[in-house]
Amino acid sequence: MSPRRTASGGRIDRSRSISFRFDGKRYAGHPGDTLASALLANGVSLFARSFKYHRPRGVIAAGVDEPNALVTVLRGEVREPNLPATQVEIVDGLVAESQNRFPSLERDVGALNQLGGRLFSAGFYYKTFMGPVAGPLKGTRFWMACEAVIRRAAGLGRAGHAPDTARYEKMNAFCDVLVVGGGPAGLAAALAAARSGRRVVLADLDPAFGGALKWSGELLDGEPAAGWVAETISALAAMDNVRLLPRTTVWGYYDGNTLAALERVGDHLRDPGKGAPRHRHWVIRAGHVVLATGAFERPMVFPGNDRPGVMLASAAGRYAAEYGVLPAERFVVFANNDSAYAAAARLREAGATVAAIVDVRPDVSAGARALAARAGGELLLGHAVADTSGGRRLTGVALRRFDAATKTLSGEPRRIEADGLAVSGGWSPAIHLASQAGAKARWDETLQAFLPPQPDAGWSGAGAFLGHASTTAAFADGLAAVAALDGSLSDAVDLPASDAPDLDAAPAPVFEIRAADGRGSKAFVDFQHDVTAEDVRLAHREGFVSVEHLKRYTTLGMATDQGKTSNVAGLAIMADARGMAIDDVGTTRFRPPFAPVSIGALAAERFGELKPDRLTPLHDWHVEQGATMYAAGLWHRPMIYGHPGETVEQACVREARAVRDSVGIVDVSTLGKIMVQGPDAAAFLDRVYTNLFSTLPVGKARYGLMLREDGFAFDDGTTWRLAETEFLMTTTTANAGRVMQHLEYMLDVVWPDLKVILTSVTDEWAGAAISGPKARAVLSACVAGTAVDNDALPFMGIVHGAIGGAPVMICRLSFSGELAYEVYCGAGHGSQVWDALMAAGQPFGIVPYGLEALGTLRIEKGHVTGAEIDGRTTARDLHLSWMLSKKKPFVGSAMMDREGLVAEDRLQLVGLVSLDGQALNGGAHVVEHGDRTLSGSIGHVTSVCFSPALGKYIALALVRGGKTRHGSRAFISDPLRGRFGPVAIVSHHFFDPEGSRMHG
Amino acid sequence: MVEQVSPLGSAWTPGRHGNLAGEAGVVLSETRPGSIVQAAAFPGSEKAVMAAIAAATGLALPDGAGGGVATDTKAVFGIAPGRFLVIDQVEGLADRLKPGIPVETGAVTDLSHGRTAIRIAGPQAEWVLSKLFAIDFALAAFPLGAGRATQHHDVLAAIQRTGPDRFDLYVFRSLARSFWTMLVHAGEEVGCEVR
Repeated sequence: MSPRRTASGGRIDRSRSISFRFDGKRYAGHPGDTLASALLANGVSLFARSFKYHRPRGVIAAGVDEPNALVTVLRGEVREPNLPATQVEIVDGLVAESQNRFPSLERDVGALNQLGGRLFSAGFYYKTFMGPVAGPLKGTRFWMACEAVIRRAAGLGRAGHAPDTARYEKMNAFCDVLVVGGGPAGLAAALAAARSGRRVVLADLDPAFGGALKWSGELLDGEPAAGWVAETISALAAMDNVRLLPRTTVWGYYDGNTLAALERVGDHLRDPGKGAPRHRHWVIRAGHVVLATGAFERPMVFPGNDRPGVMLASAAGRYAAEYGVLPAERFVVFANNDSAYAAAARLREAGATVAAIVDVRPDVSAGARALAARAGGELLLGHAVADTSGGRRLTGVALRRFDAATKTLSGEPRRIEADGLAVSGGWSPAIHLASQAGAKARWDETLQAFLPPQPDAGWSGAGAFLGHASTTAAFADGLAAVAALDGSLSDAVDLPASDAPDLDAAPAPVFEIRAADGRGSKAFVDFQHDVTAEDVRLAHREGFVSVEHLKRYTTLGMATDQGKTSNVAGLAIMADARGMAIDDVGTTRFRPPFAPVSIGALAAERFGELKPDRLTPLHDWHVEQGATMYAAGLWHRPMIYGHPGETVEQACVREARAVRDSVGIVDVSTLGKIMVQGPDAAAFLDRVYTNLFSTLPVGKARYGLMLREDGFAFDDGTTWRLAETEFLMTTTTANAGRVMQHLEYMLDVVWPDLKVILTSVTDEWAGAAISGPKARAVLSACVAGTAVDNDALPFMGIVHGAIGGAPVMICRLSFSGELAYEVYCGAGHGSQVWDALMAAGQPFGIVPYGLEALGTLRIEKGHVTGAEIDGRTTARDLHLSWMLSKKKPFVGSAMMDREGLVAEDRLQLVGLVSLDGQALNGGAHVVEHGDRTLSGSIGHVTSVCFSPALGKYIALALVRGGKTRHGSRAFISDPLRGRFGPVAIVSHHFFDPEGSRMHG
Repeated sequence: MVEQVSPLGSAWTPGRHGNLAGEAGVVLSETRPGSIVQAAAFPGSEKAVMAAIAAATGLALPDGAGGGVATDTKAVFGIAPGRFLVIDQVEGLADRLKPGIPVETGAVTDLSHGRTAIRIAGPQAEWVLSKLFAIDFALAAFPLGAGRATQHHDVLAAIQRTGPDRFDLYVFRSLARSFWTMLVHAGEEVGCEVR
């Protein structure tokens, strides 16, 4: 039996035991326990070391608001840091460790930081690490020298390096009503919405629904509340129109009533289901949202308020009632409001001693007095806790008289022995999602809290979220939220009556207990970031008085808990320092996420696989032939078909030589292909291409160039006229999508009167280019149904036939400069046609070639690609001015003659030949002078290769002056890769400038 | 006629995947229709194209965006304003459609090789598709026969509901293997049977 486990009570399953490890030590708990409740049950009080001062810290809360007890959970080698122990469900074999301590939680050398308390106050870094104005540590260098040490000493958990092997998924959901929060308000709203036939999603971040009903101990219609919750949940679960999402944190509220949620699907399971994700990222598009997110209890700020054993009163009561755990044996309860009295009674009922209830108010309600009587112990009104004592565990508290009106302490301190201090400083509604939805919070003077803004059409609120603390009010709110929806025909929903006593919801406006002389222990506002009340006042003295500046200067409200327990107290202390009302000081807005979200869940099915693979019909053949594949956008394309022992350059040269000497075949299926159909198809092409297509006869193809509207070159390719009103346009592989978008835009927006239909047919056709002197012979050997001689199939002609039994379309065009044909067939027939071509080519020694050889062949010919059509070059820069028709306007024609685009000194396409026999580098500068600096740069290299035809390293380059430099010499300089050498500037037509080979 | 080669290749692995408990949540198959054809209308000619589709296939399209109808062997649904995807298990549908859609009315584009037809059927079909597509698959929002043109990141998909628990997806052939792999992966949670 665990030392702090009560004999009965709670929703844990005492019949089963779970074994887990924390900091290497083995502990036992029960199903239903969190790591926090299980450790408390084992008598553990020290959970963590604080961020800056390494102070010993215990657990403060019982929910997602926990600022202190952050742990790292280890799944094999994978570390998940900064999880609140209150949110980790224990499972057999769980391994967790504490953070920010060395060598151990018990003995932590970082605790020495406490001695330098004043030194590490707010703004410490800004002031200390300014650095001298001169010398080796000037400016930020001093900071950089110290940073590594400081980063190690301060902070939260440490991420690991092991790859996360867990699975993550995304889910899209649509519903009429999303209810966030499964407490009494949320359950009432979900019931009402579900009974009216709406599609309902009910999400709660806890493993079990019920909210405060899980631990309040109240009776509903005379029965324990847990029974009603169970009945309600099973009724909802049985309805087809309801989806229940336990363990699901709704963390973001975005435009269009789109909400983001994280479901922890598998963390609580020892053996997650096969194929099931660990986390699921929900994107929920909701017609209406009911926010029933409850409220967070606030601690009080007083000296020594962070000792292990000090915790929120509601959390202490919850551990006792929900988990059957007494966080301490002898409690003092310290409050400024009635709610803590109920917690005191709960602790007493669970078996703890309540030594005293200390309240800053001079008088309290009858309901509170009755609860105090049940709790036992002294009731000390008009008193406050002035300090605490103890090291790694609270040993006692010091009380003094307190005047709530003047907020002053008086009289001699009185010490009470206690190992638990249950504190309540009032309640802050969890308005985070409403704040994210866009509106400003409203300060309520009675409740001393920020209430949600007025709801808009997209959401409404219910329960403690609205500041309504009782179950009765929460039920009524939940029903009202649904009844207010348009067309609501809800059946009457009968809800049970609660026996909870009436309590005064208004707390005394006391946030801080402060000794007049400022003596005593540190008084913390933000536990997670070690921000004290004095830090807030220091920020005020130094002029950081706006709430936004306060946050950034002191780091109040930052980090993983985002100030759930600290924001309001921080504002109250600043307001007091400024002599203003809290409402006038204002508050920061909340932003997503409400609680930390795993990045894996956001990546979902793309985790580990960023993009899909786009494969041609011949992909498997390439791989079987040993091709080295590389990515071109989403496509996978063969680079080389290397033989054993060959370098990439050797393979490329062999493949390119085969094309020049005999015949080669290359997969060109990736070229963008767009079907352009309709009576105005030819007119449309005349407008988007710089040259004429309306004059192109049926059965012929033409090379076309497109400009952008600003006059720069955009894309090129051949377009085939298949019928009078039908063209097959090809684009470069890389630009296919952009060209399609451009054309659709022009058609939809600029020329909606044109009758043209565009369809992407890239994937409809497999393409193989057969190039080389023997290309025609190969085709003749395998094509049926058409002749392919020069008369039947002249340059740029198109014929239809069949290869290997599959219909094909053959166009005679050349990218390599050789006699060449592109053979297109249905993609599903691609492999049969390719096999037939390979078989027909075998007698001629046909060689498959990859992108390296394709590039080499086109560079030798001076053909441009995306490396040259780079968005900064014009048609004239690339010597394509012959394609700019003067007979018609076209996209870009109005802008292409601008002064800057026709200037003499523009970079223009030239060829380079290496004079030192060394390879040239793409991206290298071309310089005129003989030194390595780039000051004399006259341009840059765009494409490089070793030319088998010339036996030299050559390149295409963009060089100022272009053709005027033909015949001159220069140097290439590439300081990054240490390459410098002489080159000759020549025409970009390195090989067969007359084109005799491809026309032959 | 030469048989089309499936783009799925080695990614098509028949049998049960993932969760092995009980009935498979989804069954995945490639339906390999003989014809997948786009019939497009110029503005104002939509009714004429719908009539031509009905004449060639016997399928009467309902009015309205995303409307559609499916039988065991044929299907048609809207994929964009004035654009319909027409599917027939028999080859040669494009040639049968062309006479009814003259040049002034619209255009017929054969996509039989360019699109891959994937069927997902089973009690968890909506759940699995919802992992990948941000559209509402509930029967009330996505009625029987209706079609939707949507996408999963880079993968465009035209989806038709061909049964209460059954959807036919048409994706670009070049991306089909990747998409199929992802779909099997998404189905593993509920038990995925590949046929």
